[in-house]
Amino acid sequence: MTDTVKEVQKKEAELQTGVERTRATRVYTPSVDILERKEDIVVTADMPGVDEKSVDITLEKNVLTIYGKVEPSIPENHRLVAAEYSVGDYQRVFTLSDEIDREGIQASVKNGELRLVLPKAEKMKTKKIEVKSEA
Amino acid sequence: MTMRHLVPWSFRKKGVPVRHDEESPFSLLQQEMNNLFDNFFSGFDLRPFEMPAGAFSPKVDVSESDREVTVTAELPGMEEKDIEVSINRDSLTIKGEKKDKREDKGRDYHLLERSYGGFSRTVPLSVEVDSDKIEAAFRKGVLTITLPKTAKAAEEKKKIRVRIE
Repeated sequence: MTDTVKEVQKKEAELQTGVERTRATRVYTPSVDILERKEDIVVTADMPGVDEKSVDITLEKNVLTIYGKVEPSIPENHRLVAAEYSVGDYQRVFTLSDEIDREGIQASVKNGELRLVLPKAEKMKTKKIEVKSEA
Repeated sequence: MTMRHLVPWSFRKKGVPVRHDEESPFSLLQQEMNNLFDNFFSGFDLRPFEMPAGAFSPKVDVSESDREVTVTAELPGMEEKDIEVSINRDSLTIKGEKKDKREDKGRDYHLLERSYGGFSRTVPLSVEVDSDKIEAAFRKGVLTITLPKTAKAAEEKKKIRVRIE
């Protein structure tokens, strides 16, 4: 059981066929949590080794791409003696619906955890309809 | 490879907890077989202290140079105050708890892939290290522990010249 869980923790990304990469590193799919709140959608991704400078978020049409560059962490003159994880970049692609207010997207990285806040567009916010009692 | 390596099960004797996650299809198959047998033979006794599925268990890499041993662990989203590193005579233990910061769990989540919870990992040290000079740094969600070898341990590994006779 735990082994399948570990696999989920760091899974190699499936690259689109026909896409060639220029950086000779592995690419992993970060695990994410997606929470929908009344006003926005929050995406949290585990990307250890990534900071605010090395993460790239692009929005093209309605495709949101998260890309995190990770530099190899093994110090010079060291050789790996036991490896449970290997270092690589992170990539994950999401397709957004029209409900997102593109201008208001916010992203922050702290301790290798990326947090994206995607505010819902005004018209899509859940509206509460008040029930009036008639006398 | 000794005969023992070909025997697919180990009766839950995990041996040294660090291992190489090799990419070769055979080692993957062997691992799979080990798990299969382990799971089968351990299915009858109670293991109350084992972590539930989905619990956070960070992965650890160990690298070594002539002077020091470096242990790195991926701990995304953790705070340095929640990480505890301790050293024993021949092992290093990383303990901590990844706090679950999720608001109203499960209800409005579309995707829940990240894991949380307490963990404890112990890395055996094959060489003597200077326990006063160990440094631990937490950067970008990666914990790096540098353990300098003692002068004696560093000395021990000397290259032996091959002479021509």
